[in-house]
Amino acid sequence: MTVLRLGQCPDATRELIGGKAFSINSMLTLGLPVPPAFVLGTDECTRYYASDRKLAEDVLAELRSGIACLESTLGRTFGATNKPLLVSVRSGAPRSMPGMMDTVLNLGINDSVEKALREETSDAEYAADTHRRFREQFRKVVGSDPSPEPWDQLEAAVAAVFDSWHSPRAVAYRRHHGISDDGGTAVTVQAMVFGNLDDHSGTGVLFTRDPVTAQSAPLGEWLPRGQGEDVVSGRCTPLTLGHLAGNMPDVHRQLMDSASLLERTFCDVQDIEFTVESGHLWLLQTRSAKRSATAAVHHAVTFEKEGIVTPEGALSMISPDQLSAFLRPHLSPTARIGATVLARGEVACPGVVTGIVVGTADEAEEMAEQGIDVILARPTTDPDDVHGILAAKAIITEIGGATSHAAVVSREFNRACVVGCGEGSLMDLVGRNVTVDATSGEILDGILEVEVPSKDTHPDLQVVTQWLAASETGNDNPLNKILAAAH
Amino acid sequence: MSTGSSNHEGTSQELSLLQTLRLKGRATPNALASATGIDESTVERLVEDAVAAERCTRSGQYVKVSPAGKERLAELAAAERASVDQARLESLYEEFDPYNNDLKVLITDWQMKDANTPNDHTDADYDSEIVSRLTALHESFLPWLGRLAELNQRLAHYTARFDTALDQVRSGDHTFIARPIADSYHTVWFELHEELIGLLGRDRASEAAAGRAV
Repeated sequence: MTVLRLGQCPDATRELIGGKAFSINSMLTLGLPVPPAFVLGTDECTRYYASDRKLAEDVLAELRSGIACLESTLGRTFGATNKPLLVSVRSGAPRSMPGMMDTVLNLGINDSVEKALREETSDAEYAADTHRRFREQFRKVVGSDPSPEPWDQLEAAVAAVFDSWHSPRAVAYRRHHGISDDGGTAVTVQAMVFGNLDDHSGTGVLFTRDPVTAQSAPLGEWLPRGQGEDVVSGRCTPLTLGHLAGNMPDVHRQLMDSASLLERTFCDVQDIEFTVESGHLWLLQTRSAKRSATAAVHHAVTFEKEGIVTPEGALSMISPDQLSAFLRPHLSPTARIGATVLARGEVACPGVVTGIVVGTADEAEEMAEQGIDVILARPTTDPDDVHGILAAKAIITEIGGATSHAAVVSREFNRACVVGCGEGSLMDLVGRNVTVDATSGEILDGILEVEVPSKDTHPDLQVVTQWLAASETGNDNPLNKILAAAH
Repeated sequence: MSTGSSNHEGTSQELSLLQTLRLKGRATPNALASATGIDESTVERLVEDAVAAERCTRSGQYVKVSPAGKERLAELAAAERASVDQARLESLYEEFDPYNNDLKVLITDWQMKDANTPNDHTDADYDSEIVSRLTALHESFLPWLGRLAELNQRLAHYTARFDTALDQVRSGDHTFIARPIADSYHTVWFELHEELIGLLGRDRASEAAAGRAV
């Protein structure tokens, strides 16, 4: 029998406790503040099926003692009418099966618990909404209305998560991906924490380093009295982390220390979700941050310089696509942040260029002969526009797709081209200075800074070149081929 | 072809000349001769006449159509349009549409391996497969061109122009697939499409909006 308190079992394998619990367990083992949780291992799933889909008496007892542990950690009580404890019940297979398995959030709520939440948060709408979302999710996962008795809710949810291992969609998913039906899912039960309790509560996200501009300082958003979903949904405008530092400097310091520890542990830039409940910091999730090509290259170089990764490790932080994108002329990430998008269309020929918009091929030719950089804007192109396409730095059209005449001719001349920006979207731009980003399909206001990194002069690329030369995989490394082909 | 004594042939040649100049923007008499299928000495004479009538301008070796020439072209095109069986042309144009879609996809595949990967032409198998597709498209398209020529003799020379472009491609000069300005397969195709739109009395913007000329 395996029921484990997460954070107290450093050797627990992903195979036994599933991916979700494994991640929580890693953070807790590092000593980081994560809402307390316990897990029923995958072997419990096997036992559940072996005993005709019934939870054994000893498992029910473990559920109670596990909950008691969460209660004592948080000073909250499951099902109580004063400071109630709500929990999430999540599935967790050893191999990720995105969207296949079930989760129930906010479990442990009923009418009197809703009332207690309403009094605690002074937010009737929040309490009612939490109750409603629980009921909907419970019905979907378990298939019946939730009992008003929280213990019954918990047992039914745990059983339903085990049941979901053999749901038709999960079975079909495993068949398609060649995963065995043996084993099963773990069930993680974790305390919910509240970011909307009082003035010392809130929620936020944090990138340990800027994922766009590549600056090494942490970047994040902070929403006082907010809940996780409020930040992700974009419903509210969050503040900067500076506000958190100003109001709760100790929490901010603890967050920064945690972020730095996670970075060093996972050897990558982290994207962290956190909640502060009455002045107490809780980390909810951490994962590797998605980032721009510029940031990917620069952060890899910085990580190696700071001794967090070896040169070999740093090379693995850069994907071939990111390196290719970085080597092409591209918009400076800092310039892009403040830029105004005038129009958007489909990319027909990639490239980034700046110039003044002209409306006819003849104008394009005349101005180009005077050495002016022009962008030819047309509703759609005709054969007699070809000389204008040749003269222009980029072509943008209102109508047409990636196989249009403008697209074909632009590609033959290797002219940046964005097509299909929408009828009436471009001809008013004539006379304006613009930047055409034909990698993202955007027409941006003004002449923005375009970076053209050269492997001979760009400091980050020089470092990457040296690593590749010294690397044992050097010649076979796909990055090497891309760099060798660069100008 | 004869130098053309009949009035009908004369206006037909003038129309061909002005139309080709409009499509190409500017062209040498040599290029005009091969694009229109009219012999070089006749082209020279037609150009001289057009320059004298201020319908064309000549700068160095290049000929351009003037605003007056565009007016003249519009008159000649209107007369030609009135003389063509429009119902028959409509049905030919409907048959053209699927060929047009195939050709556009083929050209795009030639240029791009996928939406983000330009074809760097290092994969000979990939390129030769597209040349095969172009050959197959060309062969299935020839009967259609024959029916068009029956309807309007002035457009009969397109068959020879497509043949020439494909011959160049198959002999290894891949610039004749899509290169603008040159009489590549795509250039010839696009000019033919423009002729059809004009002959139907439509314009490119509305054809583009209808998804047929984009």
